[in-house]
Amino acid sequence: MSHALRTLATGIFSVQRSVTVLPLLRPVSAVKIRGQHRSRSDGVKGSESQPFDESLLEFLVCPLSKKPLRYDEKSNELINEELGIAYPIVDGIPNMIPQDARMIHKSSSTEKPTES
Amino acid sequence: MAASIRTLALKVLSDSTRNIHHVSRCRIKHLCCRARIAGCRGYSDSTEGRSTHFGFQTVPEEEKAEKVYKVFESVAKKYDVMNDAMSLGIHRLWKDTLLHIMNPQPGLRLLDTAGGTGDISFRFLEYTRSMYDRQQRLKAKSHQTPSWQDIANHYVSDEAGCPQSRAVVCDINKEMLKVGKQRAEKAGITTGLSWVVGDAEELPFDDDQFDIYTIAFGIRNVTHIEQALQEAFRVLKPGGRFMCLEFSKVTNPLLARLYDAYSFQMIPVLGEVIAGDWKSYQYLVESIRKFPDQETFKEMIEDAGFFCVQYFNLTGGIVAIHSGFKL
Repeated sequence: MSHALRTLATGIFSVQRSVTVLPLLRPVSAVKIRGQHRSRSDGVKGSESQPFDESLLEFLVCPLSKKPLRYDEKSNELINEELGIAYPIVDGIPNMIPQDARMIHKSSSTEKPTES
Repeated sequence: MAASIRTLALKVLSDSTRNIHHVSRCRIKHLCCRARIAGCRGYSDSTEGRSTHFGFQTVPEEEKAEKVYKVFESVAKKYDVMNDAMSLGIHRLWKDTLLHIMNPQPGLRLLDTAGGTGDISFRFLEYTRSMYDRQQRLKAKSHQTPSWQDIANHYVSDEAGCPQSRAVVCDINKEMLKVGKQRAEKAGITTGLSWVVGDAEELPFDDDQFDIYTIAFGIRNVTHIEQALQEAFRVLKPGGRFMCLEFSKVTNPLLARLYDAYSFQMIPVLGEVIAGDWKSYQYLVESIRKFPDQETFKEMIEDAGFFCVQYFNLTGGIVAIHSGFKL
């Protein structure tokens, strides 16, 4: 009886152990796949860790002027031509905070002073 | 004579610059300050001197956003763990209830503002997908003996794919979004989910774009709530739904006392033990007390232009879901 209970208990623990191992495997394979994807798209999109989802551009606009933006692949930024500002894209996530945007002057580009 | 006037003028200017950080009393001094520090704060400071609450403290409005940012930057990694610990897991039920009340159909577009780690968006995508599966199953059941035409149509519609539900998570804090993105990758959710860093008071989205706008446990951190509500009204499609899940006033007095004791004694301690951050969780419980009650918030939503505004109290009023429609 106690032997049966012991085997049952160890059976449960071994199942638990195998269950916890599986989730560890999945993110590793996800990283591998992403790595392959990165090497394939490197020539096209430049050196960014994750590609930017261009379908966002359907409804993404400049928060200040509410006008559509242009995606610049080389500098990996979203550019508002009218106001001359560029929003950076970090890790595939566009940063649409005006304070973090960069000003683009016709001759030179300067940093917009960040507030608070 | 001229020299003495100049020194006098310089003295006045230097005095005024020293007073910049205090509430400016004199308009002339205020203008001198602005001329002097031209480079620093470019915006016309009609808000200078106006203060707002940061928990129980009073802070200038410009500072609140920065302080809130710092709070969430420091708690980002432990945010989900802390939520479970503080609410004893009940926050999951609250969020599930929000989804049930929302009852989204497949193919809708959701804007999850102050979405942070993406809890609502994940639930939204899961809900619409399971609903789509259920609809397909019901359709299959009712077509037990399909004609050849039906089968052909079924193949065509299958190729087109199910109407793609789309969730956009918008948050002012990059750290929270990073944590959320990692969670999405771990859960294997790839399509239909987007991440944007943006300010709820100045949304980077075009008018009439979203079917549903949600803001869960985020609106009390916004400096100008009315502006956030107006932005919500702007980006929603006509017929779109605004939903807000937020801590509110407890209705039962006994429960209120227990809740207060728990909030002020336990939660900052948990914050210190688990996240190593007492102050942020002190801010959390204080900001809950500062947030308007259910009726006042309902009136604010109506002022923004929403119709059929109603609220649902959960867990005795600890949390309330407000809902309104853009008609």
